[in-house]
Amino acid sequence: MTGDIELLKGAIALIGYGLAAVGPGIGIGIVVGNAITAMARQPEMAGTVRTTMFLGIAFTEALALIGFVLFFIA
Amino acid sequence: MDQVILASECDVANEVICAPADVKELFEFTEPWFSIGEFHFTRTVFLIFLAAAIVIALLYVGLRKGRLVPNKFEAIMESAVTFVRDGVGKDVIGPEGGRYVPYLLALFLFILVGNLFEITPFINFPITSRMALPAFLSIVTYVIFTFLGFKENGFRYLFDTIWPKHVPIGLRWLVGIIELFSTFVLRPLTLAVRLFANMLAGHLMLTLLLGSGVIFLAAVPDIGAKALVGIPWFALGVGIFVFEIVVAVLQAYIFTLLSAVYIQSSVHFEH
Repeated sequence: MTGDIELLKGAIALIGYGLAAVGPGIGIGIVVGNAITAMARQPEMAGTVRTTMFLGIAFTEALALIGFVLFFIA
Repeated sequence: MDQVILASECDVANEVICAPADVKELFEFTEPWFSIGEFHFTRTVFLIFLAAAIVIALLYVGLRKGRLVPNKFEAIMESAVTFVRDGVGKDVIGPEGGRYVPYLLALFLFILVGNLFEITPFINFPITSRMALPAFLSIVTYVIFTFLGFKENGFRYLFDTIWPKHVPIGLRWLVGIIELFSTFVLRPLTLAVRLFANMLAGHLMLTLLLGSGVIFLAAVPDIGAKALVGIPWFALGVGIFVFEIVVAVLQAYIFTLLSAVYIQSSVHFEH
């Protein structure tokens, strides 16, 4: 039984990473979508909005990145 | 080509999953070309020095004269400096952001050149896809923003992170724990892993797609018309190749931007 789990460890880690990527995926979608709405409404603010959008993406990504690290550790 | 060789070694008839035996192979050191004491010179080390030399040469040649009417190359270098100074330094940190521009500019250009090695013919290896380099750069940023936090705010920097005054008292301990963890552990970790993961993923994709394309096309004498299956792989690889240019520039920008944001949050510590 232990041997079987040992064999499947890589696959389980992959599933874990996939689950970890769901939330940030949705979050980045919301961030970028709202940033596009803001840019379309106020094109003169596009530069500021773009910087803030990248920041939002970077912070939202953090959970997916932790999942990525755990995939390698597992 | 290592991945391709590993895949051909596995027994297709009996094994369900064909994967390298241990993913840690990706992170092992290769045999150095030569060593001086403890310093082992591999191809990656040479590429790091090459990237540093390219950045120094670009800045020296582009900005040495400081002419009133720059030629084309000088104009490009000046716009790169202006982009980091105004777009990242002063926009994010504020009017006194000019003090940190030398660091941010060096960071941006070095990571940019290192990332673009991924798609440079005959090099084809982004130095930032070795964890050591993003980790080191992230530690430098970590030391800078922690030092600035203590220098500008004294020990209030640490105490106000653990015990934030602007939060209702019942939640302070919880927010404090989260803030402490996210500021001093997650920030440097995600900063390094973001760059590393993006470049590693891009490099692996290019290797697998272009590599399988080349191997299929080289196998035409053996398997005949079936080798045509390599053409879509190769085409997809070329598509990803263009996409990786965008990723390389964007990741260099995001690393610089986040470094600036972390410095800003230490200089203007308002919690």
